[in-house]
Amino acid sequence: MDTLYAQRCFNCHGANGRGDGPMAALLPVLPPDFRDTVQRKSNPQIKRLITDGKGVMPAFEPALSQSEINDMLQMVRFLSREGRDISWWENFDALVAAHCSIPWEAVLGYDDPPEEKKP
Amino acid sequence: MRVRRGWHVCAVALLVNSLSFALAATPAPAPQSFTQRREVKLAIDDFILTDQSGKAFRFNQLSGKVVLVGFAYTTCPDVCPLLTAAIRQVQSRLTGTERKDVQLLTITTDPEIDVPKVLAGYAKRYGADLDNWAFLTGEEKKLRAVWKNFGVGVKRKGRGLIDHTPLTAIVDRRGFLRVAYVGPSPEVRLVLGDLRSFLADR
Repeated sequence: MDTLYAQRCFNCHGANGRGDGPMAALLPVLPPDFRDTVQRKSNPQIKRLITDGKGVMPAFEPALSQSEINDMLQMVRFLSREGRDISWWENFDALVAAHCSIPWEAVLGYDDPPEEKKP
Repeated sequence: MRVRRGWHVCAVALLVNSLSFALAATPAPAPQSFTQRREVKLAIDDFILTDQSGKAFRFNQLSGKVVLVGFAYTTCPDVCPLLTAAIRQVQSRLTGTERKDVQLLTITTDPEIDVPKVLAGYAKRYGADLDNWAFLTGEEKKLRAVWKNFGVGVKRKGRGLIDHTPLTAIVDRRGFLRVAYVGPSPEVRLVLGDLRSFLADR
């Protein structure tokens, strides 16, 4: 999800969705701050912007699958909250991968959960 | 068991969530317009591509006009929006008389995505006046010849993701490529000055 954002959105919308990506200042119109705009829009409205584009923003529908567009929507929604940035996902992915690699059943003794003993 | 494992994932998520508030936002680097302007003299061969309405578009029909050509693709998340926006600004600053003698072209670097209908939507979003601006696509084989003639390198990285030379170029009334702007954002004032000097050259 963060890769999708990094590839397609970051240049203009920036790491935290404030519209301060490396290309933003060169655009004829500054990209919006997600904290102002996304919070006020419904999911279908945001999806329409992603699929159809607006002004200099590309219409991504021809290039992306519906699941990728949904992922992009979730990322945009996530970044619209105060204090969030794209690095959250990078850290989150690494931590979830680390968490899932631990054999919790063995560590915590979940091999015989009570519900499985019921007749 | 599933519930307990879910609890662990939630705990990790909450931990990371709280950490995220402590992460400082990475400041974006200062914007730079590092577009180079090069004067050249290179003959452009005739080609036939397809415009945004699906009609055949022949380059040689523009003979006698000064042509401003930009290479871009519609789903580009990089420099193409800057490049097309610059051409749009050039168009809006041309006088009525100049528009009759100047043709603007945007040639796609991604024919897989940029079919005529997609190009028509792109033109509309930029508010392009199609009287003297055409958006061209075609078979990849034909486009490759055009890209090569203009010196544009194109490399597909993924669906709707293309690396390409960010070229905007002026072709004079005799069909020679005369000025090449290589970079994300050609300066509109400079492009207009060059166009006008070639318009004066009859």
